[in-house]
Amino acid sequence: MSLLVVVRRQSTTFVCGSCRVRTYAAKAGKKGGNPSAPGFPTKLPPVETTYNGTSSCPPGTALPGLNYLKGQPSVVALPDEDYPPWLWTLLEPKNLVDDGPGGKAEKVQLRKQNRQRIRDQNLLKTQ
Amino acid sequence: MSKALKSKAQVVRILIPAAKAAPTPPVGPALGARGVKSMDFCKEFNARTAHIEPGIPTPTLITIQPDRTFTFITKTPPTSYFLKKAANIEKGTGKPGHEVVGTISLKHVFEIAKIKATDDHLRHLRLEAIASTVVGSAKTLGIRVVP
Repeated sequence: MSLLVVVRRQSTTFVCGSCRVRTYAAKAGKKGGNPSAPGFPTKLPPVETTYNGTSSCPPGTALPGLNYLKGQPSVVALPDEDYPPWLWTLLEPKNLVDDGPGGKAEKVQLRKQNRQRIRDQNLLKTQ
Repeated sequence: MSKALKSKAQVVRILIPAAKAAPTPPVGPALGARGVKSMDFCKEFNARTAHIEPGIPTPTLITIQPDRTFTFITKTPPTSYFLKKAANIEKGTGKPGHEVVGTISLKHVFEIAKIKATDDHLRHLRLEAIASTVVGSAKTLGIRVVP
């Protein structure tokens, strides 16, 4: 009985609705998985991506690794007002204004569709 | 057909730690195979990157002419290097989009974009555009960006 379960265990996992990603066959008996093991895909907690007045990085925190010139003092976070206003909108999804046929929105849509079509075709070739 | 038209200028793209070029691999064979004296290149490279903190990976584009003379351009360190330093991680994730290995603030993104904006081939872009490319790189590394 358990052998059947092992044999039938799929070696592909669903990533999104339309594509399957090939992974190694899941080990028998690891159905639940070990949440404390490193690298286990934990459910990612929802993160606030809209700026609501205060940044998560208070002014004065050192930003490591950005002083790549010799003798450059370490880069420090400034107060929120010192940054340009467009910075806080970077994480929000772009809303495309529909300008009808031939407009920018259509170009973006077409590019996205074309790229997805290429990815699907490539995946089919590997099957 | 004249044989006088020799091979065109060859371009070598390589990541070299700043001020630490040595004739040993990977630099040595890459240049030596094309007839360039690696010692000369190393001396010139180290002189030109002397203002950079030693050891930081510096992408260089070396153009080698058919008569074995060379010119090279150095660029700012890779965005992924800065992101990994800022998020304090060694390597990006193997499963981008499904795993998160670090978190970064938009302020980090801004500072990184400021550094990249000094690069020649990004001069025509708005800082906002460069910052959005940094956010995209963070996504592929598995680094979450928070405001």
